[in-house]
Amino acid sequence: MKFTQQVGFFMRSFFLQAGWNYQKYQNIGLLFIMRPFLSRLYKKDPKKLEDAVARYLATFNTQPILASFCFGALAKQEEHIAHAQNFAETHEETQAWNTIKRGLSITTASIGDRLFWGTLKPLTLLLALFIWLVLGVHIFESTPELPLPCLYIWAGSIAAFLAFNVIALFVKWEGFKTSYKAVYGACYGLTSFDWNKTIYNAKKIGLVLTVAMILLGIYYYLREFQQSIDVHFITRAVIVLFFVCISFITRRLRIPNMYLYLAAVVVFNLVCYL
Amino acid sequence: MSIELWLLCIFGALLELDTAYAFQLTFSRGIIAGPLLALLTGDFATGIQAGVFAELLFSDVNPLGAILPPSATICCAITVALHALGIELCYAFIAAVLGSLLFIRVEHYIRKQRVKFLPVWEDKIMKRPKAVTRILFDELLRCFLINFVFLALFIGLIGGFLSWLQPHINPRAFFACQFAFMAVPWIGLASLIPEFRLKKR
Repeated sequence: MKFTQQVGFFMRSFFLQAGWNYQKYQNIGLLFIMRPFLSRLYKKDPKKLEDAVARYLATFNTQPILASFCFGALAKQEEHIAHAQNFAETHEETQAWNTIKRGLSITTASIGDRLFWGTLKPLTLLLALFIWLVLGVHIFESTPELPLPCLYIWAGSIAAFLAFNVIALFVKWEGFKTSYKAVYGACYGLTSFDWNKTIYNAKKIGLVLTVAMILLGIYYYLREFQQSIDVHFITRAVIVLFFVCISFITRRLRIPNMYLYLAAVVVFNLVCYL
Repeated sequence: MSIELWLLCIFGALLELDTAYAFQLTFSRGIIAGPLLALLTGDFATGIQAGVFAELLFSDVNPLGAILPPSATICCAITVALHALGIELCYAFIAAVLGSLLFIRVEHYIRKQRVKFLPVWEDKIMKRPKAVTRILFDELLRCFLINFVFLALFIGLIGGFLSWLQPHINPRAFFACQFAFMAVPWIGLASLIPEFRLKKR
């Protein structure tokens, strides 16, 4: 694959989900990404181009960052279809194309969701929180006072943005290359990286950082009440602790946190009026 | 609404596209969208706090498959705008969380509408494959307009209502809302522990 072609894939891949719908999910986005490649491949055969477009318009859904592995592998297989010598060979290669599309989209969705949405996103959130706390932006206060230097305000955001995107864009870029060059046996380059180990280690770091952040929060909370540990302090601590414990239960019941927060608003109002 | 708030609605609607439909470069995350939106009002403390709180509160809902998490960008935009209108931060945040919940319905509507358009789009694309580009960018424009109208209407209506209501709210209710607001980071951090649960494979 030429460098310019890869750049084209990469730039277009940012619009994979632009036509997301409940019937065929990312099909329009997938065709948008692959269209220049298909037009070039079937320049002299409009009938084959039509068949290819119809195939790409079928259902497709995966995680948008790791989707690059699908694009590379599908492009490679499309070349096999285009260079098939007879009908039987074309049919065989098309079936293989469908298998790759289905299999690879499920695999990349599973890995990508766990790695990017389930691990890297909360991890970079914690990174930003630590940076802000170190720089004196205290989010546990009701009205945080900001230090003056502008860089301090942006430090957390920029760190989280870079930490997430450097990894995401690297994976996206390498995904095209690796999957285009790789073979079926190597699961189109997916096995060249130990995803499970990476996710496991990242989650381990995340767990340590979360506990550290909670302890840091408790420290700031205690410092705020350093002068007088009174009834107000104990009441506030007990109620917050109660809602934190409840959040573990609601998590098991798959009730999102936002409903717990709205319930807290109602409960606190009732308590205040009683 | 002032010119800053109209600009905030435009900027918020643009950032919201980053959540799913274009780029996904995480500009729409609370911790990034919050300070970015605060550029327009100049209140960075509110921007950062709204961003962090929104992201912590919504961190337990991930966009897996067809799941639609509440939008941190919409939450930040509403919080920052309402606070700029003189609404207390704790009330603004409650309204913003409700706004984000309502916005999930809007997103459902957009995606359901596309199912109706799909046969027409596919027909156009089959006739002329290049039409896919036009279809996609028209769709992005439609999403932007819907996001903008939602933000402008919500901020205008709820902002006006809360501005009228705020002086009549009992101080006890303010205390309760403030208390619930300060419980948000704790609820969010507690939910990160199961998020990082270790499953050896």
